[in-house]
Parts: sequence; C-alpha cells; structure tokens
Amino acid sequence: MSINQNIPNVAEKPNEAPMTKQAAALAVEAKREDIIVEEGKTVGLPYSDNPKFKLRNVEVFYGEDRAIKDISLDIARNEVISFIGPSGCGKSTFLRCLNRMNDSIDICRVKGQLMLDDVDIYHSKRDVVELRARIGMVFQKPNPFPKSIYDNVAYGPRIHGLANRKSDLDEIVENSLRKAGLWNEVKDRLDATATGMSGGQQQRLCIARAIAVSPEVILMDEPCSALDPIATAKVEELIAEMSESYTIVIVTHSMQQAARVSHRTAYFHLGHLVEVNETDKVFTSPEHELTESYITGRFG
Amino acid sequence: MTDQRSQAEIVRQSLKRRYRKERRFRLYGMTAIVIALASLFILFADIIGKGYTGFIKTTITLEVTLDSEAMYLDDPTDADQRSMADFNAPIINALSDLIPGVENRAAQRELSRLVGSYGASQIRDMLRANPELLNTTQTMTFLAHDRVSVYVKHADNPNYSIRLSEQQQAWVDELVEKGVIETSFNDVLFSSGDSREPSNAGILGAVVGSLLTMVVTLVIAFPVGVAAAIYLEEFAPQNRFTDFIEVNINNLAAVPSIIFGLLGLAVFIGLFGMPRSVPVVGGLVLALMTLPTIIISSRAAIKSVPPSIREAAEGIGASKMQVVLHHVLPLAMPGMLTGSIIGMAQALGETAPLLLIGMVAFIVEIPDGFFSSATVLPVQVYLWATSAEQGFIELASAGIMILLTFLISMNALAIWLRKRLERRW
Amino acid sequence: MPNKKDDVYGDHISAKFNDELTELKTQFLNMGGLVESQVEQALQALVDSDGQLAEQTRLKDKVVDEMETNLDEEAILVIARRQPTARDLRLVISVIKMVADLERVGDEAKKIAKMAIKLTEEGQAPRGYVEVRHIGTHVLSMLHDALDAFARLDADQALRVMKEDKRVDEEYQAAARALLTFMMEDTRNISRCMMVMWVLRALERVGDHACNIAEHVIFMAKGEDVRHTPMEEAERVVGR
Repeated sequence: MSINQNIPNVAEKPNEAPMTKQAAALAVEAKREDIIVEEGKTVGLPYSDNPKFKLRNVEVFYGEDRAIKDISLDIARNEVISFIGPSGCGKSTFLRCLNRMNDSIDICRVKGQLMLDDVDIYHSKRDVVELRARIGMVFQKPNPFPKSIYDNVAYGPRIHGLANRKSDLDEIVENSLRKAGLWNEVKDRLDATATGMSGGQQQRLCIARAIAVSPEVILMDEPCSALDPIATAKVEELIAEMSESYTIVIVTHSMQQAARVSHRTAYFHLGHLVEVNETDKVFTSPEHELTESYITGRFG
Repeated sequence: MTDQRSQAEIVRQSLKRRYRKERRFRLYGMTAIVIALASLFILFADIIGKGYTGFIKTTITLEVTLDSEAMYLDDPTDADQRSMADFNAPIINALSDLIPGVENRAAQRELSRLVGSYGASQIRDMLRANPELLNTTQTMTFLAHDRVSVYVKHADNPNYSIRLSEQQQAWVDELVEKGVIETSFNDVLFSSGDSREPSNAGILGAVVGSLLTMVVTLVIAFPVGVAAAIYLEEFAPQNRFTDFIEVNINNLAAVPSIIFGLLGLAVFIGLFGMPRSVPVVGGLVLALMTLPTIIISSRAAIKSVPPSIREAAEGIGASKMQVVLHHVLPLAMPGMLTGSIIGMAQALGETAPLLLIGMVAFIVEIPDGFFSSATVLPVQVYLWATSAEQGFIELASAGIMILLTFLISMNALAIWLRKRLERRW
Repeated sequence: MPNKKDDVYGDHISAKFNDELTELKTQFLNMGGLVESQVEQALQALVDSDGQLAEQTRLKDKVVDEMETNLDEEAILVIARRQPTARDLRLVISVIKMVADLERVGDEAKKIAKMAIKLTEEGQAPRGYVEVRHIGTHVLSMLHDALDAFARLDADQALRVMKEDKRVDEEYQAAARALLTFMMEDTRNISRCMMVMWVLRALERVGDHACNIAEHVIFMAKGEDVRHTPMEEAERVVGR
C-alpha cells in the first residue's frame, strides 16, 4: 500500500483559518482528555530482530516533570526511523537521550535501559565523548562553526585524532563532503568561511561534519525546519543515500517528510510512544486513533 | 457602514493625540541629547581653551660669549672650579648687549631673571660636556622664566596676574620685537619629568608611570577575570554558593574606588611590605578594582555565544574543555577584550586609590621599572592643579587633554577590536 | 478504528479542509442518488413500456458524466492542496475510484433505457420481466446499501452488500437459463429476449459495481484492500 509515495508534495501544509482556532483548540482539548494512552503499550511494531538501539522502559524526568513515560523501542540497523508528534510530545527529548545530549541539563534524569549494540549508554563508566563519536548529531538550525569549510569538517577527526597526516585529513574531508553531496559546490573554496554559505549548504555541511568521524548512527533533530523546499529535498535525498551505511533517527515536524524519508515512523504523544509502524502503514492506515487524528491534521 | 465611519473618525482623532505625544517625546529626547552635548562641548572648550597654551613654550635665544674671565672658570672639567663659577655671567652680558643702558648690578640681575632659573645650569652642563667651547661664542636657546612666559602668552588675560616689573615688561616687549623671545611647540612637556618650575615641567614621567601601572593591571586582571568568568559560566554548579559569589562580584563592581586604595595600603604595603609609590602596587590595586568589570563583561560575552555552537561541538564529541577552548573562548574574546579595555580605561583615569598608596609624591625622574617610584597621569594633573605657580594652570589642562587622548584612543581600540574580531554566526 | 464518539470524518484543525472533504462526500452521495434513480427509472420505463421516461433517463447520463468530471477534479485538488493522509487519503482515493463505478452504473442505466425504448417500440411485453423486476430491486437495494455504508462508513453493511452480490449472480444465472429456455421454445422471440438478456446483464453489472463500492468502503473504514481476496479474508478484516 504505497499510494502515499506517489502523491506530489508540492508544499508544506499551509496553516489555516484563524476563525476556527478556538473551536479546534477546544476539540483538541476534549480529545486529549478523552483518550487515555495506556502506559508502555505501544501499538504496531516497536521491536526488531536486529536492533542497533535497544531501549526498554525509558523514562525521562525534568525535575519532577515526567517528560518521557515508559517507552520501549528497538531501532534496527541501517534503518531510517522518524519520530513525529505534536510539540512538547517528548520526541526531541527522547532523541537526545540516545547520545546523552541531555547530560548538560542539570535537572534532567534518565531512567530505564538504553543499549547501543548491547552496551548500556548510560553506564556510569561509559565515556560520553566516545559515545558521541559513534553517534553523530545534526541540529534543527544549521550550526556550522564560524571557521572555514575545511576546518568545520576536519574538526571532529582532529579532536578524536583520526588522522595523523594532513593527507589523511584531506581525504576524510573530501569523502565526507562528497557523501554530503557538497564537494562539487565547495571544492574550490574550502578556505571560505562556512557561515557565508546558504542555509541548505550549511545544513549539509553539518551533516558532512557529523559523518567525518564515521559514526554508526546519525541523529537528526528537525534537520530541515529552517530550510527552503529545494534545500529540504536535497537533504532528504542525502538521507536516503546515507541510509545504506548508517542508522538514522530523525525528528521531524513535517509529516510528509517522515513519509518520504523513513522506513518506520514512531508517533509520540504527551511523552508516550503511541504507535510505531512501517511508514507506509502509518500514513495510509495507522492503527491507533491518536496517530490517525494527528497525521490527518485533526490536532497537533 | 456608519459604524465603520464613526470608528475611523475616532481613530483619526486619537491619531492626532498620539502623534502629538510622539512629537513631545521626541522633543524630550532631543533636549536631553542637546544638554549632554552642550555640557561636553563646554567642558572641552574650557579645557582646550585653558590648556592649549600648555603646549607652547617661551624661549630666549642669545649669543652667549663663554668668557672664562667673566665666569671665573679656567677648566670646565674641574668640579671644584665649576661649583665656584658664575655661569650666569654670560647670560647677563648677552642680555646687556641687547639692551643697552642697563648698568647697575640690581638692574642687570632683574634683566637676567628673564631667563629661567635653569639657564645657568644649561651653560654649565654644556661646558662640562664640551670643555673646548670655553672662550667661544655660542648661540643658545634658553627657556624663558615662567613669569615672562605668562606675560608673553597671557598679557591680555585677566585670569593671570603679571608678576613682572614695568621695566621688565618693557624689556620683554623689546626682546620680542627683536625676535630674541619666541614661542614654539613645547617639547619639554613630552620629554621630561615633573619640576617645580612650570617651564621645565613635563608629563613623560607620569605617562611612563601610567603605562607601567596599566601593564601590571592588565597582566593580573585579564587572566584572572577571564578564568573566573569561564569557571562561573561553564563549570560551576548552579547552587547557593555560586549565587553568593555572583552577587558579591556584582557588589564589588559598585564599591567606591578609594576602598580599594585602603585595601592596597593595608595588604600590599602594610602586610607584604611592598614599597610605596611604585607601579606594581598601583597596578595590583587597580587590578582588584577592574576585576569585577572584567568578570561581568566576560560572563556576558560567554553567555552571548549561541548555544547552537556549543551543541554542535558537544554533538561531535568534543569534551567540555575543548568546547570552551576551541569554540566558546574565540567567540567570546572580542566581548571580553572590549570589557577589559573599558575596565582599563576606567583604571587609567582613577586617582583616589593611588593617593592612598603614595603615588602622589613629587617625582622628577622618569620611572625605569615596576619598582621605581612613579606617579600616574590623573595624579599628575591633580598635583599641577593644586600647585601655586601660575604656569601650572595651563599645564594641568594640557595634562587633562593628554589623559583624555589616552582614554579616547583606548575606547577607539576597544571598538576597533570588537569590529575586527567579531564573527557572525 | 474510527473514533466512535465523533462524526466519522471528525473535525480537522483546518475547517476548510473539513469542508472540502465534506463537499467531496456530499457530491459523491448526490451522484450516487442520481445514478440510483436513473437505474430505478430505467427499470420503471422498461416494465411499464414508458418510452418517454426511458428517453428522460437516457438524457440524465450527461449530468452523471458531468458530476464525474467535477468530483475527480475536486479530489485531485484536495490531494494537491492538502496532501491528505490515512483516513482522508483513503477517502479521496476511494472516491476517485468509486466515481468511476458510479459512472459505469449510469452507463448501464442508459443501456437499460435504450433497451426499454426498443422493447416499447416492439410493442408486446415479452417474458422475463418478472426476473428483471426481481433482480432490479435486489441490485437497487445493494446500490443503496453500498452508498449508505459509504455515508456512515459502515464496514459491516458493506460486507453484507458484498455477500448480496453472490446471490445476485446466482439469480442472474437462473434468470438467464429461464430466458434461454423461452428462446428455445419460440425462436421468434429471440431478438426481444436477447434485449431482456442484456438488461439482466446490465443489472448484474450494476450489482458488481455496488460490490466494488462496498469493497472501497471497507478499505476506507479498515485500511485494508479486500478487492481480490476471498470472502473469509474480508470477513476477518471487517470483524477486527
């Protein structure tokens, strides 16, 4: 049932009529109160035979606030999985648990079992630096360092000591830029400052920077939310290519994007993982009514 | 439709009122700016008006015959003979030649007083260095006496009283006419230390003292301040203790500067037994005073580094230290430097704490190290402003102008650095 | 599972989107109603030998064609504008397909009307009208139920329609056999009997189209395609 992929995606869904906002908000409230998600009961296919990440009963607290409520999920090797859900549903928080980006927030606590290749991510002796070298991250806003294009890509390999000679480093930089589809655009101006590039180029540079340390997993936190449709299309194309060699987890607000790029889609709702399913299934006939309401634009 | 029209009417009426309000508000602002600019203009005009003559010296150029008989001097290399000799004689003779009819000794003495009190020693020093010049005639330029200088520069100024006799005034007029008394740019001001004689007083000693003090301040305050700011912003846990420290740093910035002087007196001089009046102690005291400013501005600079850059570095696996050293610090540096320079400028203009640690002494020598007695620019201005001699009035104003030049150039440097180093992200 | 507490097509955040989907649904039901009445009238004209009514019925087909074009256009616009997903996507896609079915039903009605005109011109009413009336009523109720199932997104009813289709097929077989015997009895009746045969054939086709619509309704309600699966599979899907 892959009808969905043939649909032309001309533009993002436009925001609509202010007059209905109040009514819609009331309806949403009513719905949210009516539907109680059973804790830890995820509909669909949350588990995998060949997991890269094995996440069991994950809970995240911000102080007293329980932001993630008993989530269990497998992320398979070389799969592209997208996290969708309304704002504040915990999808970004959950993503940031995977490479311990939440560590720098003092009040944030993570409970449960998070395993990367059967090794505990949150083990007290686990080195965060090593973990992050294995799990690259791309952020919402393109955030290149205010340095040259070359230095941006070379930074990771340099601090991890991945290249001893200049020629090795040059090779890593070129390969990474090639993989990010940026080499032809920037090969003549590697010394130019990265902040002078266009938004889409900057984001692809950030991807190149992430893959320069040859990670196994790439986490993407709304990577296209600041990009125009053409740049978005390029990044999505890149994600499709990269899925051959990396496990990719992508948080996105654009459901069409999730539909286009990912193999599986996970729907988050108020800290619960409501449904995980094949993307084709989620966007044609989701199992959970909350998922259905969200992806058809009935709230969110 | 009628409803809408009346609404438009209401809006139009209120518009008038709103525009009036806006105009009035703009007027207040402009008035404030005009007042500020006017005060500044008056201040500058006053200082420059009073001070520009400080940059002018009055000289007397004479053909002096270094007659050994007149000076009672046979051998200029002999120290005993030099101390007995009358080096004033060639000056008196030269002046007498120029103005005939001055016969009696009292009048001649009056005449010789037109030349500054260091005229004789100028001849002595020249002869000591070049004994072969004895019994020759030399063209020498002497600094005119302070009173002559005041008369030449300020004869018409009611603020100055002329302390020359009628006779002397006539002589000066004659000598000016003959081109013997001339005015020129006051290089003495920039090349010598302080003096009791306004004509011979210079500001170089104070400038060097200020520079040495500032070096000490910078070397101590900048690294300490930046390190403290980085620790507080990046590493310190958020708890009551760090809150307490933060509050106290802010309080410290508001402490009157003279308190730092008392502290310096008690701790550095009293406890550690450091010498008084030296740039090291002055620098230490001023460093303490500027530290809060530097810490506060450095913290602001660190805070303004976008978190996305931090995240990017962390996400790629940089350690905390690498994040700070490779990314935060370079981006915060312009802000930190600007804050520091402004703090230093503040310290440069500071007088009160330095008075307490003895940097207010009368020091003729130009300081040659961090431990030699020195004074600083604002203190020098203070000293001159409180001196009795009339010639010091214009020097004080000239000193203020020099100090202002330093301050303005430091601020300009701060702006230039910020513009230069600031990177866009 | 549809949200039982709400209207089947509950409120979107975008009211305009809601309106567009409702419009699509309403237009489809209107078209369904028109086609339904077309079949009914054609049968009436045939049974009553009413040439005028048959002519009217034939002309209605133009309106049906126009409605088909409009609905397709509307559906394409909804896809282009809203990129519907899940339930909405299934609705739009199903409407596009069901519209084709309805249009064919309209064509069949036109065919019946043509036969009615011819048979009226021939005069005498031949045998087989009983079967026609019987199967016609059956098929009409199927069509009606299918449209009703669509309106209420009722998978159970849709399943019943699918089962009915089997019976219509059987009835058609029986009627065809009866007519064949009649033709063998009297060869002069062959041409007219053939016309009745075509009418029966057309009615059987209408039943098939109603069945198709029912299958789409199940797809809309359950998200699973039951078109080329055995009946047990459809039962399993609906029973879920």
